[in-house]
Amino acid sequence: MPNFFTRTIDRLVISDPSFRFLFHRQDTDEAISIDCETTGFDPWVDDIVSVAAIPIVGKRILTSEAYRAVIRPNADLRAESIKVHQLRRQDVEHGREMADVLPELLRFIGNRPLVGYWIDFDVRMLNKHVLKMLNVRLPNDQIDVCTLYHERKYGNAPPGTQIDLRYAAIMDDLKLPPLVGHDPFNDALGAAEMFVILREMKARGERIKRIRDADDVVDVMTG
Amino acid sequence: MQAFDTQNPPFDRLTQKEAADLRAAVDIGYYAPGETILALGQPATHLHIVLKGSVEARDGETVDAVLGAKESFDARAVVHGTSGEDYIAAEETLCYLVPKDTVLDLIKRNTGFAAYFYEELSRKLSDYSRRQETEGVEQVLRARVREARLQPAVWIDAGKTVKDAGETMAAENNNALFVRDGARVGVITGMNLSKAVVLQGKALDARVREVCSFDVIAVDADDFIFEALIKMTRFKKRRLAVTSEGEYIGMLEDIGILGLVAGNSQLIPGRIDRAHTIEQLEEPARDIQNQVERLERQGVKIDVITEITSDLNRGLFAKLFELIAPPSIRKAGCLMVMGSEGRGEQTVRTDQDNGLLLAEAVPEAELAQFRRDFNGALEKFGFPPCPGNVMVSNPQWSQPVDEFVRQVRGWILTPDENSAMNLGIFFDAVTVAGRDDLLVRAKGEVVTMMRGETGYLARFARAIDLFEDASAGMLTTLMASVGAASDAIHLKKSGIFPIVHGVRTMAIEQGLLEPSTAKRIAALGRKGILSEELTRDLTSALTYLMETRLRTQLKAMKTGRSEEEAIVRLSELSTRDRDLLRDTLKVVKRFREIVRNRYHLNMF
Repeated sequence: MPNFFTRTIDRLVISDPSFRFLFHRQDTDEAISIDCETTGFDPWVDDIVSVAAIPIVGKRILTSEAYRAVIRPNADLRAESIKVHQLRRQDVEHGREMADVLPELLRFIGNRPLVGYWIDFDVRMLNKHVLKMLNVRLPNDQIDVCTLYHERKYGNAPPGTQIDLRYAAIMDDLKLPPLVGHDPFNDALGAAEMFVILREMKARGERIKRIRDADDVVDVMTG
Repeated sequence: MQAFDTQNPPFDRLTQKEAADLRAAVDIGYYAPGETILALGQPATHLHIVLKGSVEARDGETVDAVLGAKESFDARAVVHGTSGEDYIAAEETLCYLVPKDTVLDLIKRNTGFAAYFYEELSRKLSDYSRRQETEGVEQVLRARVREARLQPAVWIDAGKTVKDAGETMAAENNNALFVRDGARVGVITGMNLSKAVVLQGKALDARVREVCSFDVIAVDADDFIFEALIKMTRFKKRRLAVTSEGEYIGMLEDIGILGLVAGNSQLIPGRIDRAHTIEQLEEPARDIQNQVERLERQGVKIDVITEITSDLNRGLFAKLFELIAPPSIRKAGCLMVMGSEGRGEQTVRTDQDNGLLLAEAVPEAELAQFRRDFNGALEKFGFPPCPGNVMVSNPQWSQPVDEFVRQVRGWILTPDENSAMNLGIFFDAVTVAGRDDLLVRAKGEVVTMMRGETGYLARFARAIDLFEDASAGMLTTLMASVGAASDAIHLKKSGIFPIVHGVRTMAIEQGLLEPSTAKRIAALGRKGILSEELTRDLTSALTYLMETRLRTQLKAMKTGRSEEEAIVRLSELSTRDRDLLRDTLKVVKRFREIVRNRYHLNMF
């Protein structure tokens, strides 16, 4: 996340001043859950193939106002990522140019904090393009649901505790119904659900139990 | 949003386009434990569908229902504007929010969706009014006269005699006749006749016009019941003539109104009694079935429903026996019902288990005729044939008692795969007509042979494991909860049968002749065979299972999916019901273990 100095400088050097709203102070209870599907996990080589962003206002997840776009990547769409995302080259070819999508996406996001699972990766992927377009990096606050989850569950764990931060593990632990993965909308939705729950748990000072309910264990053992 | 499950009713009725429109409009809301999602009297802006967590519907301090995943609320508020209850998050909850306008729009566009929606709504409304008793009564008062049971209009000429009138009443089985006297219309009742003859000393050949009443109080078939009640009170009449489009169509009696309030179970025995032909039994037979649903809807307890229903069924059987059995069979025969019907635990008709014991041989042709007629009539009344062929029509189940006892010995001594079931069904027999002493003797033989014979008892008890894999139990449910297995539970196989059969085995061992499972449990408890705690647990487990079974049966009848009649799906249960079911199945498991140990079944 950019620090105060980067932010101040970026604010001045932004190449298109009409996007300066990105730097406005945040005083709402709104956030954007965002997820990018990419051709791979190397920000230097890989590229974004689709993106979804869902507004969170207070305790509502506004799925009805979600933003989504399929993008024609610059890098080669690798065979491996085709398998993962079930997107074939021809699907992606119907996608739009990042140059058209990005201004829309940035206006949609505005100055709201970005929420995601391993949000750092998504922002780095986006920053490649934001830098090109505006000569700055995304100044928005970033909230990683992994961090929130880790803090709620393992914040006071004794050393040596086995830590599981997999997306599926968090969904399961928060008793959220599973969503079909590797779809940016579903992944953003899952992160949004995790976010509201974890944020409210934190507000109540409630922690996540590290062992499963004793009852469940008994059930399994007594068959 | 593709995550929203449109396979879940009522959304499964939407077309793809409608489903897409719905998905596009859905948001998600978060509610902390204890947070009020929708307050009583508050207008609803959305239909909520639980995504995760659970929601309590509360009326003041009492919790009326607990809604789990996929359940929706509050249809009433969406359609009528305000909520009838408080909806409070019982735990951390996420709900899909479908905007009210979207729901109303879909109701307009899709009649299937609308029908489900209104059905759900009217169910909720009737639950709601059941809680508020005065409102329930008001609902009856607002029924139409034509919805009550009316006596058909029977006419007599005013020139006929009092004796003619009495004979017509008896023949038509109708206590009030319309009198035609030129242009005048009158009414003559049984009470008029008695008064005329007994009190006023009129002759039997007095004319009808001298004793009937020409001041006829009438209501229209489309009038409200409360209007009829007001007229009855004002004119001190127990009957009113009913007109429709200017014609007299029948009589409304006060008792017909009662039928609207309490079902009409109390009227059925009289109609069975009065029947002179098999055809006349068809209607009361149908009504026995219909009242089951009505009683359930009125919140009558399951043990009362089963008691009323089996009493009525037995009355029906006895009458049918009287109507079609030739004198030889009536004299020598004992008509028995067995299985669930014998235990008095059948509500919705699933099959018929019946048989005939004879004190002596009767003419073969008469017996053959009776076998055909009896089961034919029952089938016409809506009793499905017994899949195991335990019916009067099967000679194995209708024969002289000596032969029958020999057959029973065979089941005990040289059993085949059907023997345990046959013995079990027979041990639950009760007499509905004819010579009870025959049944007492045959059952006595079973008890004498099996008591103390641990080998025979054990062989019989083994059937308790018949459907063991049907209730692999909690592991299955756990796996189902993560989507790894079917979440269907067969109530009969996993719950009711093991209890019934285990208790039945112990009843034979102890020589208890009481046929009902609940009473057998109580008797075993008194004898100390079952611990006090287990007696209590088994009784409530059985009650819960039978109640739930009745609901699944009624639902299966409504949806026409008879294969689902004993199936509950965990995903369709509220959290509270899921807990109850889990506790119940734990009791069944514990009891099964006790039976296994008692009869050393683990050694087989």
